[in-house]
Amino acid sequence: MLVHIIEKELRDIVGSAKFAVNFSIGTALILLSFYTGAQNHRIAQEQHEAALAANVRQYEGVTDWMRVQSFRIFLPPQPVAALVNGVSNDIGRTVEVRGRGELRSQDSRYGDDPIFAMFRFLDLDFIVTVILTLFAVLFGYDAVNGEKERGTLRLTFANAVPRTVFITGKCAGTFLGLAVPLIIPFLLGALLLPVFGVPMSGPDWTALALVTGAGLLTMGAYLLLSVWVSARTERSSTSFLVLLSVWIMTVIVLPRLSAAGADLFVSVPSMDEVNSQKSRFMSQLWNEDRTKMNGFTPANKGDVQEVMKEFNRYMQTLADDREKRFNEFAGRLNEERANRQMEHRRLTQYLSCLSPAALFTLAASELAGTSLRLEEEYLAQAREYQKEYARFMKEKTGTNTGGFAMVFRMVTDDNAEKPKPINIAEVPAFRFVPPAAEAGLPPFTIFSGTIALYALLSFAGAYRAFRTYDVR
Amino acid sequence: MSVHTMLEAVNLSKRYEDGALAVDDVSFSVRPGEIFAMLGGNGAGKTTTINIFLNFLEPTAGEARINGIAAHRAPLEAKRHVAFVSENVMLYPTFTAVQNLDYFARLGGKTQYTADDYRRVLLRVGLQEEAHHKKLKGFSKGMRQKCGIAIAILKDAPAILLDEPTSGLDPKSGFEFMQLLGSLRDEGKAVLMSTHDIFRAKETADTIGIMRQGRLVMQRSRAGLAGEDLERLYMEHMAGVHE
Ligand SMILES: Nc1ncnc2c1ncn2[C@@H]1O[C@H](COP(=O)(O)OP(=O)(O)OP(=O)(O)O)[C@@H](O)[C@H]1O
Ligand SMILES: [Mg+2]
Repeated sequence: MLVHIIEKELRDIVGSAKFAVNFSIGTALILLSFYTGAQNHRIAQEQHEAALAANVRQYEGVTDWMRVQSFRIFLPPQPVAALVNGVSNDIGRTVEVRGRGELRSQDSRYGDDPIFAMFRFLDLDFIVTVILTLFAVLFGYDAVNGEKERGTLRLTFANAVPRTVFITGKCAGTFLGLAVPLIIPFLLGALLLPVFGVPMSGPDWTALALVTGAGLLTMGAYLLLSVWVSARTERSSTSFLVLLSVWIMTVIVLPRLSAAGADLFVSVPSMDEVNSQKSRFMSQLWNEDRTKMNGFTPANKGDVQEVMKEFNRYMQTLADDREKRFNEFAGRLNEERANRQMEHRRLTQYLSCLSPAALFTLAASELAGTSLRLEEEYLAQAREYQKEYARFMKEKTGTNTGGFAMVFRMVTDDNAEKPKPINIAEVPAFRFVPPAAEAGLPPFTIFSGTIALYALLSFAGAYRAFRTYDVR
Repeated sequence: MSVHTMLEAVNLSKRYEDGALAVDDVSFSVRPGEIFAMLGGNGAGKTTTINIFLNFLEPTAGEARINGIAAHRAPLEAKRHVAFVSENVMLYPTFTAVQNLDYFARLGGKTQYTADDYRRVLLRVGLQEEAHHKKLKGFSKGMRQKCGIAIAILKDAPAILLDEPTSGLDPKSGFEFMQLLGSLRDEGKAVLMSTHDIFRAKETADTIGIMRQGRLVMQRSRAGLAGEDLERLYMEHMAGVHE
């Protein structure tokens, strides 16, 4: 009997005009999101290569490694990130690496082209959180009370149909009726990726499949919620209004409010605040060092070259000492801010967990490697690279340039042979290793598990409500 | 319980939450091969009585039994023995007549029917053949009623409940419908029908009951009505002359 009800539900949905319209729109949007994802990936890849080339060109004709003050590294675009943008467009892709000092990322996609930030991109996150959840509401809002209004519920229950079987069949049938057809555009879109030249690796495919699964699960959660509400209300117009409000709250309002809500409990000092504190401390250090510099007395006053060398050494110790003190201070500030930020993020996530749609956003970005961890990961790898770069530069120049050191050199020998240009390709290359999908798997599982929990609760609610539903 | 009783109301009462006493201590029984027609004005309690048989409503007192099973105690078991045609049959508008028949037949536990069975039953209830594979959304009320009775026939249950089944049927269809009901009776079905059609009730029914304000104020067999003017009796009961 359950099979008959599921089958009927499937046929009822697929045969309806509502389905034809929604399915066409859904298919078009899903394919479009894959297409724009692929396009964006291609553009990002081109920009990335151009930036790498420009970076090298910048040092053309440079003959002295001393003149290489800094070296730029870039965050390469990742295929899945093009489909689940997360924060990938918001964080800086470029880091200017010096031999020492703090690293900061700059030049984000949205920073470069703010118009995109205004309306964001059409990615899978948008498809799921906005389009699929809306479909779920549109197809679920009258699941039970609509049958009553249409008068078919009476005839159904004139038969020996257990209510539990009916409500289970209703839920399963509606879900399958929506999910199975939607798999087609998802598969088509996925097939388009290699065609459009997006290099998908094995783990990329796995991540995409899991994200799609979580998307359908999210749709299922909204669908079951809709069935529940429709079994709690007499009229479908009422359930539609209720569900529309829930949808607006959980899809649009809550995710936006959660960060602001968390602000009420945890305040994170702004970056400006931290930076100004840092620069105040830095100028204080400089003032101290300037007095020290005035007290520099060379041991060997005769030889200019010797004096120069001695001065450079002296400056180097000052710089080292200054850097050490500054780093301690900045480290403390950074850590304090990072801790606050961590707390703030956690609270924001807890608050947004009230919304299945927000949970999907969190889950998907974890697997796509575009969660909040992306920037941390990038900077962490950049800091590792900085050490390597510093070692290299020390080898080339005998001193650690960059940071805040000042280097004085005198060129006295005019007859020396013409200096040869440096080969910038010798600088060690930065290779970003995307955080393994495995790292995203535990949070992904927790977030999608919570979505599943919502789905289960809604089903239990629908089940309970329908036990005493007036089928007349 | 008598084996000869298929549908039975035993001191049945129903008081709605708002206090209205819609059915008041009603008792009657319908045997296999018998048509029981319930007459009565609007709001007399006919639909309420039928709803109790289908366990859509719980009785406040008494029992509605189908094949000896109290509907509110073992609803699933009781409903296996009964088919139902409502006043306004509503089916799935995106399904064809045959698809609707197939679905409800399966719900009724009948999975063995073939396309030919569906064709034959639809012809039997008088639905023209070109409509069999049309979607229900274009059907007139009468066409839907015909599908409804076809579904009831397919369920092949020993008891049939009908709530004003001929409302909306044209005179010819109404006549054919009553003939059909007669043939179902001859097959041994126990039929409980509410109706406003005194003339047809008198023609077809074996027993006639009149309800007024929730009470069954008159119940007579066809033999007991011989020579009586049913219309006059009805009017008198409605006016409360016999109380
Ligand atoms: N859900 C309800 N809540 C309260 N009272 C109700 C409800 N349904 C019906 N009633 C009342 O119960 C009484 C009997 O109604 P019922 O529908 O059984 O009459 P009926 O004989 O079928 O009338 P009709 O010939 O108009 O169909 C009426 O007084 C009606 O107002
Ligand atoms: Mg009625």
